Amino acid sequence: MIRLDNVTKTYKQTVVALSDISMEIVKGEFVFLVGPSGSGKSTFIKLLLKDEEPDRGEIFVAGKRLARLKSWRVPALRRELGCVFQDFKLLDNKTVYENVAFALEVIGKPQPTIQRTVPEVLDLVGLAHKTAAYPHELSGGEQQRVSIARAFVNRPRILLCDEPTGNLDPTTSVGIMKLLDRINRTGTTVVMATHDQHIVDSMRRRVIELQDGAMVRDQNRGMYGYGA
Amino acid sequence: MGPRWRYLFNEVLIGLRRNLLMTLATVVTVTVSLALLGAGLLVQRQVDKAQDTLYSEVEVSIFLLDGISEEQLASLEGDLRANPVVADVLFESKQQAYENFLEIFASDENLINAVTPEVLPASYRVKLTDPEQFTVIASQFDTYPGVDQIIDQREILERFFRIMNALRNGAIAVALLQLVAAAALISNTIRVTAYARREQTGIMKLVGATNWYIRLPFVLEGIVAGVVGAVTAGLLLLLGEATLVSRLKTEVAFIPFINAGDVMSTIPILILIGAGIASAASFAALRRFLAV
Repeated sequence: MIRLDNVTKTYKQTVVALSDISMEIVKGEFVFLVGPSGSGKSTFIKLLLKDEEPDRGEIFVAGKRLARLKSWRVPALRRELGCVFQDFKLLDNKTVYENVAFALEVIGKPQPTIQRTVPEVLDLVGLAHKTAAYPHELSGGEQQRVSIARAFVNRPRILLCDEPTGNLDPTTSVGIMKLLDRINRTGTTVVMATHDQHIVDSMRRRVIELQDGAMVRDQNRGMYGYGA
Repeated sequence: MGPRWRYLFNEVLIGLRRNLLMTLATVVTVTVSLALLGAGLLVQRQVDKAQDTLYSEVEVSIFLLDGISEEQLASLEGDLRANPVVADVLFESKQQAYENFLEIFASDENLINAVTPEVLPASYRVKLTDPEQFTVIASQFDTYPGVDQIIDQREILERFFRIMNALRNGAIAVALLQLVAAAALISNTIRVTAYARREQTGIMKLVGATNWYIRLPFVLEGIVAGVVGAVTAGLLLLLGEATLVSRLKTEVAFIPFINAGDVMSTIPILILIGAGIASAASFAALRRFLAV
């Protein structure tokens, strides 16, 4: 589903964000990407979205070789990837329903499909009762659920999460992780960048650790740190 | 209306409203530049229209000295009629010249009182088969005894047309400068709008909206400003035609003037130019900002 072959990315020729990373993530996996701030987690996600280009190496996502992907095919790639961020990235002037529907409208889905799938996915994330609410009327956890619903409404094959619990308290985070776990069980590959030690330790999934752009660990059923 | 069209319509409206003053400045600039450009085109059309009629009425005047003898007169007229480029010859005596003078300057009493039949020269009014052949006549008859001077009315007209052409060139030059300003304003407006909506466009990119879909509302916003400016310019020109040209028409009856139809037919050109420049400016503004 995702493969990196000797990928190196530097910014402005001097700052090394990722150096010589090779890895493979197969369909249906749940992978934690851990490491301190600036270790290259966000760069990793940007590379998968073809938001950034690597300096060296090859990246394959959902069967596509990104270096060969023409710019007009990038939207098609992104429709296979759902994205969740620490800051939710919801539109304040749209309701919960409209925020989720927006993701379908702008890729040209017909209105009947939108009217059918949006309530479904809002039900999945547990917000069926808040469809008409605006983001500022919701708690952080609820806002993140909306953002997950938006990322998942088009049934992407891969869900990329960049610190999805970074702004949430531990209890709320647990709820979000349960939701991501549920989505993973539908066969969706989930890649989650985080430095929430507690979550990584309790989930016991594959852990890939980055440090200063280098991959220092790839461990199945891992913990946040070696000693923990 | 499908969701796609509703979306587009809303986005364009929001964009235009968000920056009302800027939009206004843009529209005014587009209006001024296109009105000038349209005026330039219409001057050109006016010149074209008047040229044919005026040239066909043009005569060569051969003014005669007061002391010209009957024989000289007879040989001059005979040679004139024999010349192949001459279509028609008309003799205007001093008395006839005076009567024409009275008619033309009927409103100017001072002038009429100052002039007597004696001071006006007699002349031959010669119509040519081809008005371009003036030099043939001038070189042949200039040396005839009793001929004072030969005047080609076309030269007077040409001076007039030169002025008209200069006016047209000036209008178009200023219009082009204004269009550059308009393009810069449109570009800037679109950049501001795009910046204000960067969150939304960021999400659109993320969920895989195509570049076209993301850019269309911005480009349309620019085009709306361009077209509104062009239509306003067209209305201004129509107003100008209805007031200025119509008044001229009643005072200068002998040449054909442009009419409302001529103005109407330039409006599509203005709209095309307005829309073209607006979309080019919008694309230029978005190229960097919304690149995937």
